[in-house]
Amino acid sequence: MSAATNHAATASAPAHGGRASRPQRLRDGAAAPLLAALGLAAFWLFPDDLGLMTRILTAALYVLSLDLVLGYAGIATLGQAAMFGTGAYAAGIAAVHLVADPLVLLAVGGVAGGLIALATGTLILRGRGLTLLMLTIAVAQIVQEVANKARDLTGGSDGLSGIDPGPLLGLFRFDMYGRTSYLFALAVLLAGFLVARRIVRSPFGLACRGVREDPVRVAALGGSPKRLLVAMYAVAGVFAGVAGALSAVTSGIVGLDSLGFSWSAEALVMLVLGGTGRLWGAILGTVAFMTVHHLLAATDPFHWMLFIGLFLMGTVLFLPGGLASLADRFTRGDRP
Amino acid sequence: METLFGIAVDGVAYGMILFIISVGLSVTLGLMRVVNLAHGAFAMVAGYVASFAAQGLGLPYAAALAGAVLLTVVATLPLERLLYRRIYGQANELAQVLLTIGLTFVIVAGINYLFGPTLKRIPLPEPLQGTLALGPKAIPTHRAFVIAVGVATILALWWLLERTDFGIRLRAAVDDPDMAAALGIRTERLYAATFALGTGLAALGGVLGAELLPLEPYYAIRYIVLFLAVVAVGGAGSIAGSAAAALALGVVDTAGKYLIPNFGEFFFYATLILILFRWPHGFFRGRAA
Amino acid sequence: MPGTLRTALLGAVFATSLAGAGPVWAATVKVGVIAPFSGPFATVGQTFKQAIEVYQAQHGKTAAGHTVEFVYKDLDQANPAQSKALAQELVVKEKVGYLAGFFFTPDALAVAPLIDEANIPCVIFNAATSVITEKSPRYVRTSFTLWQNTVPLAEHMAKQGVRKVATAVSDYGPGIDGETAFKATFEKHGGKVVDSIRMPLKSTDFAPFMQRIKDSGAEAIYAFLPAGPTTLAFAKAFSDTGLKAAGVKFFGPGDITQEPDLPALGDAALGITTTFNYSQAHDSDLNRAFVAKHKELFGSSDTVTFTSVGAYDGTHVIYKMIEATGGSSDGAKAVAAVKGMAWESPRGPLVIDPDSRHVTQTIYLRVTERKDGRLQNSEVAAFAAQPDYGYKVGK
Repeated sequence: MSAATNHAATASAPAHGGRASRPQRLRDGAAAPLLAALGLAAFWLFPDDLGLMTRILTAALYVLSLDLVLGYAGIATLGQAAMFGTGAYAAGIAAVHLVADPLVLLAVGGVAGGLIALATGTLILRGRGLTLLMLTIAVAQIVQEVANKARDLTGGSDGLSGIDPGPLLGLFRFDMYGRTSYLFALAVLLAGFLVARRIVRSPFGLACRGVREDPVRVAALGGSPKRLLVAMYAVAGVFAGVAGALSAVTSGIVGLDSLGFSWSAEALVMLVLGGTGRLWGAILGTVAFMTVHHLLAATDPFHWMLFIGLFLMGTVLFLPGGLASLADRFTRGDRP
Repeated sequence: METLFGIAVDGVAYGMILFIISVGLSVTLGLMRVVNLAHGAFAMVAGYVASFAAQGLGLPYAAALAGAVLLTVVATLPLERLLYRRIYGQANELAQVLLTIGLTFVIVAGINYLFGPTLKRIPLPEPLQGTLALGPKAIPTHRAFVIAVGVATILALWWLLERTDFGIRLRAAVDDPDMAAALGIRTERLYAATFALGTGLAALGGVLGAELLPLEPYYAIRYIVLFLAVVAVGGAGSIAGSAAAALALGVVDTAGKYLIPNFGEFFFYATLILILFRWPHGFFRGRAA
Repeated sequence: MPGTLRTALLGAVFATSLAGAGPVWAATVKVGVIAPFSGPFATVGQTFKQAIEVYQAQHGKTAAGHTVEFVYKDLDQANPAQSKALAQELVVKEKVGYLAGFFFTPDALAVAPLIDEANIPCVIFNAATSVITEKSPRYVRTSFTLWQNTVPLAEHMAKQGVRKVATAVSDYGPGIDGETAFKATFEKHGGKVVDSIRMPLKSTDFAPFMQRIKDSGAEAIYAFLPAGPTTLAFAKAFSDTGLKAAGVKFFGPGDITQEPDLPALGDAALGITTTFNYSQAHDSDLNRAFVAKHKELFGSSDTVTFTSVGAYDGTHVIYKMIEATGGSSDGAKAVAAVKGMAWESPRGPLVIDPDSRHVTQTIYLRVTERKDGRLQNSEVAAFAAQPDYGYKVGK
């Protein structure tokens, strides 16, 4: 038997393969308006932290893309940064040489992320478990090396700087206080969330979830599990690419770290922390992880790893299913 | 010719270190189905213990090595009981990744707190310093020693798994855990023993390999991808597979750096992709031994 | 619009300082320091912080009556987007008047648009790629560049009669700077570079590179790797593979034998010849006082190294800027005030070049040797008044 087969996410995601329960549907319906309201509230409450919050929103979109791959298609990957970074570099290079419109740049990033996911997904998605994990790592490492070598285009290890996007819609300039950046990122995340929800509820999304739970049955019913997975991988690549482009536009710089292994691993940590397979778990996990990271790093930059490590272990031991499962218990009235 | 021989010797020595550390990961992944990302952290802990024993306490190399392996095994056994036992089994893969990453972070922070962020060395004893003439090439004595220990480890593991009662039960449990339990094999104790074996091997590799994989707090995170690559290529739970994979990757990496140093990383990862594409389940399809 | 915001921002600075203790006329000037305080390069942040505290212990916590307060932000690895976000937070939220620190080049480059928009000076304590100070007129750098260390080294090697050299550098910005600088200078003086090896940053096993150096027939190597773990493996591989025994000479910028790594390097470090702007063993009263204060404050002075003096002299520059601007945060005026400034530092005489805004300094030729049971970089020659030869080269 093959040793390292995995059915990622089956453990931590609750079994909600069929119809969603009523409270869950209510919660899902409330998620988008709630996100918008909280995002705007944060804008007024923490006007000095817009830089950090913009990065959180960008990361949330990126983790959301990982949820599509992992939570809905069961593909365990440690290489999602390949798509994020490709989108970021594509948008950055376009901004330096070709166009300045931020919306066009997002589109460029999305297309680039989708294409790289499509190309590599076809190659690697025949593996499972540890093999797949290694393949995703290897692909991301190679993409990172390409970016490192193409110094003339990417700036190599110095980073790609000089990205100066034009005003949003021709009206709102990206200034150093980050107001435009923040609201733009919030709008993009909201749009991404709504589109992602459409996708996972579509027949295509449901079929992918079917593959995750029982590939043999999907094949028996005449579907092609591999083709479905590659398609979902590419779709998620578009999301990650847009997130990368958003990062390039709002920060004005792209570095090799945006393609790095630790950025991939962090995405996984944030997602599992929040809870896989529910989209808003991705957002919750990102906000929690990055806020905790920020606060701990600010008070004791030397040993934040200790706290974040304990935090992660605590989540696994006492909160399997991630932070989102807290909300499940709450709405269902279960006792922990 | 001399160059070819040189690459082969360097590659094999590098591969042996990868093998000694990775085979422990392979065994625990094969039996308990646990993706233990803290494996590299265990190797690192042993390295630091040995470094402290040799430099701080002035113990001889052999004693530092033995002490470090023993102490690491003893120190990690409670972890097996308290943490790992909850996450055995393939259904828990994500929980495993998260828990062991968390554990790795804690260990990294702890090592950083105790020993500081600077490099630590394990001073080599007199006989292991210097070089050894091996045909046309002079190789560091330490590397020759590492190769010898690697070969001994392969033989010892083979003997352990094929010729002892423990090995028979272990292989039975890997092939069919339920059946093994039904036959009265006490899987709990077996798991603990296997975990100790895996940690011990990591510790051994961590100490021996300190010259090639230098000891610093980020060791635990820096090299784990390398160890996972060996296990993926070799097939989880396969000793012969791990050996073949570690040697192949060691030689490929060495040759790549020699021939095209500017594209060394490409070469390594491209080979990895090709191998995994051709043998998605690893060289030996993952069985114990 | 930015003008009014800036006024508001200044107002806020005054308001906070008025609320605090101290004389009414004095303001608190905040300096934001971005550096690695956790992760593989945590020692760097630590040396920055300690050097700043040493400076404040020696010269007081006020400049021209204004209390100088340092705010530290952790950036554990090269991550330009994060660097910019931290800088933004420092400027907008902490209302800092100065930015400082920066270990990695991309992190320093990332803040260029921000310091221009906010008109804030940025004093770089380390990041050593020449191109940085070209990107904004508000950068001032108190460390060194690869060109600055490499040019005198290459000239020295050529004078010593070394003819065939192989270069081995880490494959990233500073490494490539070093390789370019070496080739240009060494070949101009009649030497020959027989092999140029760029090693991946993540390499830990250097045996294959050593084999290549051996096969190239080089008499000596010029090597640059970032200070830290990889350096150890490289220097050890050099002696283990018999290159050292075969008489190949080892030259490089001093990062490779930085003081915190010396104990771990052990005998492998013996005989490595480097050029650098600072050695802990530098023979001067100022340096002895600097190291002694370190020992007094932190119990040990073992980690005092090039990043320490980079931060120490950077702090000096910031103090002078505050004195020149009377505590107001006018980046253009502050930078103008220190252009051409000359002073004596623990590492020797320094001048801020008015064009490149980088320190012109003495570069020392050092040999690593054991003295009183302890490894140290002993200075054997000095090349006075070396500028950044890499400023606007090939651009």
